Amino acid sequence: MFKDLWLRLRSLFRRKTVETELDEELQFHLERQVEKYVQSGMSREEAQRRVHVEFGGVELAKEECRDVRGVNFIESVLQDLRYGLRMLRKSPGFTAIAVLTLALGIGSNTAVFSLIHALLLRSLDVPAPRELVRITFGPPGTDGPLSSPMFDRLRERQSAFTDLLAWTNAPMVLTEKEGARPITAAYATGSAFPTLRLKPRLGRLLDWRDDEPNNIPHGVAAVISEAFWLEHFGGDTGVLGRSITVDGGMATIVGIMPRSFNGITVDYAPQVVLPFAFDVVLHGRSSCRFRADCTWFNTMARLKPGVGFEQAKANLATIAGDVLKKSLTEGYQRIDYLRNGTLSLSPGRTGNSPLGKVYGRELWTLQVLVGLLMIICCANLASLQLSRTLNRQHELVVRSALGAGRPRLVRQLVVESTLLSLAGAAAGVVLSQWMSELLVRYVEQSDFPVFLDLRPNATVLTAVIVIAALTVILTGALPAVSLTRFETEEMLRSGAQRAVSRRKNRPTVWLLPGQVALSLVLTSVALLFAVSTGKLLRIDPGFRVKGITFFGVDFERRPEKGEARLDLYRKMLDALRQAPGVEAASLVAVRPLGEGGMDESEAPVEGNGPENKHLFENVVGPDYFVTAGTRVLAGRDFSEFDRFGATPVCVLNQAAANSFFPGQSAIGKHIRSTEPHPRRPGCEVVGVVTDAKYLSLREPAPPTIYYPHDQLPEFKWGGFITRSHDSPAAISAFKYALRRFAPDTPFLPPITMQQQLEDSIGRERLMAALSLFFGGLALLLTSIGLFGLESQRVVQRTPEIGLRMALGAQRNDMMWFVLREAALVLARGLPMGLALTFGASRFVGSLLYEMSPLDPRIHCVALVTLIGAGFLASYLPARRAMKVDPMVALRYE
Amino acid sequence: MPRIELPQGTLDLLILRTLALEPQHGWAISERIQQISSDVLRVQQGSLYPALHRLERRGWIKARWGTSENNRRAKYYELTKTGRRQLEAEKDAWDKLTAAVAQVLGTA
Repeated sequence: MFKDLWLRLRSLFRRKTVETELDEELQFHLERQVEKYVQSGMSREEAQRRVHVEFGGVELAKEECRDVRGVNFIESVLQDLRYGLRMLRKSPGFTAIAVLTLALGIGSNTAVFSLIHALLLRSLDVPAPRELVRITFGPPGTDGPLSSPMFDRLRERQSAFTDLLAWTNAPMVLTEKEGARPITAAYATGSAFPTLRLKPRLGRLLDWRDDEPNNIPHGVAAVISEAFWLEHFGGDTGVLGRSITVDGGMATIVGIMPRSFNGITVDYAPQVVLPFAFDVVLHGRSSCRFRADCTWFNTMARLKPGVGFEQAKANLATIAGDVLKKSLTEGYQRIDYLRNGTLSLSPGRTGNSPLGKVYGRELWTLQVLVGLLMIICCANLASLQLSRTLNRQHELVVRSALGAGRPRLVRQLVVESTLLSLAGAAAGVVLSQWMSELLVRYVEQSDFPVFLDLRPNATVLTAVIVIAALTVILTGALPAVSLTRFETEEMLRSGAQRAVSRRKNRPTVWLLPGQVALSLVLTSVALLFAVSTGKLLRIDPGFRVKGITFFGVDFERRPEKGEARLDLYRKMLDALRQAPGVEAASLVAVRPLGEGGMDESEAPVEGNGPENKHLFENVVGPDYFVTAGTRVLAGRDFSEFDRFGATPVCVLNQAAANSFFPGQSAIGKHIRSTEPHPRRPGCEVVGVVTDAKYLSLREPAPPTIYYPHDQLPEFKWGGFITRSHDSPAAISAFKYALRRFAPDTPFLPPITMQQQLEDSIGRERLMAALSLFFGGLALLLTSIGLFGLESQRVVQRTPEIGLRMALGAQRNDMMWFVLREAALVLARGLPMGLALTFGASRFVGSLLYEMSPLDPRIHCVALVTLIGAGFLASYLPARRAMKVDPMVALRYE
Repeated sequence: MPRIELPQGTLDLLILRTLALEPQHGWAISERIQQISSDVLRVQQGSLYPALHRLERRGWIKARWGTSENNRRAKYYELTKTGRRQLEAEKDAWDKLTAAVAQVLGTA
């Protein structure tokens, strides 16, 4: 047995030697035989002739010996490989296009699906994630966090879960000797890690005792992420027990979370996790922990063993009413959101994915688009392969005549196609990596880096590669199977070209028209998204976009309070206004089109009875409207005289003015907000400004009331806004002022209004850009396919063209001869495409802004584009047909 | 003397038997078989070498290169231990077969 293996290996690796030996052995035999005959009296030539006849075929004997050696198969496969490589190198155009097509199809599909997987489908990396559920609160149809009292009451009364956990993401600032740096942090209840059943990488994770800060001897406990541990603390195991200062409060690191766990929010990876008790340490009685109107607990729970989802839902429904009633004390009943909210249950396997919710529909639409692109790619590959094999008929026929069996020919084509698939798959993997990163950059907001685990999903990658490879291999091998059936003699005689053009393979006739149809769909969709996004970008937002920059600040932990804090703001504003390059500066609490929402309240209309109307609130500094470019329609802007102690004033936007005081001037009237924190008895309206869109570009601006910053000294959040021609100048001016007046406060990255605007329509931009990209790709691929088809036709029918020309046809007639083919393809494909587009537009319609998906102008443009591409692709082959010299063509006959 | 075609499968047996006496190269084996059978059996030249290689693969004979009688390089084959055993087994089977056939022919 080993002898056998040894011989086989030797045959494989020392082929030359083995061959020489075989040759030598047989030669020896032949010579001895010749000698024998010569000795018995024959002439040498006679002897040699006789010996050769007697022996039979020497080559045949050699071949049989080789067969016996049993490595024939491997050898011939290697031979096929070498041959395949050579053939691929000989037609670089085909190889390049094929590999590129494969790469595009595989890469884009993998990238898009990987993103979808990461945002929407991937389970949290904890044991038994299917047992997890999310408990949310809000008016029917929304799902938001719970408030602390709700959470506590629910925990007391529930019976379907082993335990509940709450989690809140909270960006904070880590202060160290070297300076302050922003970190991604999160709060968790003590029940979080035990309910998730997570094991620490080092040390311990938070548990129930951490809910009561008094129990810990060294202050509040904290855990850090493994990535943060490695990146910031250098993987030093001595980090346990070290204390850190976060947002001004001290905490002690007690453990490290494993790398595979990145919080329960898909796109936010906390570097430090603290117990909610930490917020109490920071804010005392005003902490959200005690307030019934502060909904900040993202709540999850683990189902008890044996309890099903439906059962838990029923259990929740029975106790929800009671829980809510007990947790909403008197004053908070007035807030609509709290009053109308209910508790709901949803599966929690994938955690919480706000990005997924925002982008979900777009991503799935995108997946369908790249799926269509994949079909086009496969169709293109198929037609490329088919036409190539058609052109190699002659070679196949010759090889068949030389003795190659059909299986051998088929196998060789399969090997060649596999090589092609491998190259394409490799390129596809690289491309998918690049495209994934591109997608994520589109999806993230400029000031909020997104953390996404971007490994291309292995399952999808394999699936897509398999699909592409199968296409390539099947279409490469099938023609060989059918081609070799004909009479080789006839083929060799009459030249390969003519025989095949007669046979029209029924299914393949629809390949190219199918591609045209799908390309039309993709192009139309791309145009729809592009136009829709264009419309969005052209909306007048009600404020200036160019030259506006926002600087967020967090003065919370500064020692100044009250009047001193206001003074700080004033000093910063003065410094900014005087800086070179800065035209104007002010303060604003709510950034237009920014991430945070706006506070809402209600106000009764003066003199119009007890009816309350809805209002959105913003708090701005002096000269805000001038800075932001919002026009003042009546009255005035806020000035520095609107200070604390002076008459409380406010400014309304047009919508609010019309809503509260229809038909009259709002100036001088009074409005009193019904917020639970009564800020003041009422304010006098001193100005009316144009509507400005703060919440969303697509919706009209809601009635908004603006309060002057100086009159609300306890107002916490705020940022600076500057208007300047030169953005870098504004940024350095701000940095300088911050360092001068508030030296310990970290400098947070600023954001321009332009970026903010673009971020707010991030989804639309994503869809527009990507669908244009894929639509363009589809067009390109289809054009290439058409070009290939036409070229091949011209080559095939050159004799026929020559004949026609010799018989008197004009050169221009030949051009139409080619273009007619293209027209036929388009005529078959475009109606299909139109039908598909109309079907598809229903789904796309909801993603568009103020446009009908059936807008005929767009579809006309798409049609014209396809037709133009079709004829452009046929142009070169048409010219070639025109240039055919009848003499040369006929000579080939 | 009329030449009789070698029945299938007997070539292996003859080769093994020839090599039982002493190691030989392919041509010598062919000559020897012809000689001993008084020229009745003519080995099909084209099938000799595939048979030799097959036997070598099976491990019943082994090969080495040596110098021949006329000072040329030649590949010599010799019987291995397992080959010897195989020879015994096949000879046994052949004897039984021929005896049985003879009996049938004799009584018919």
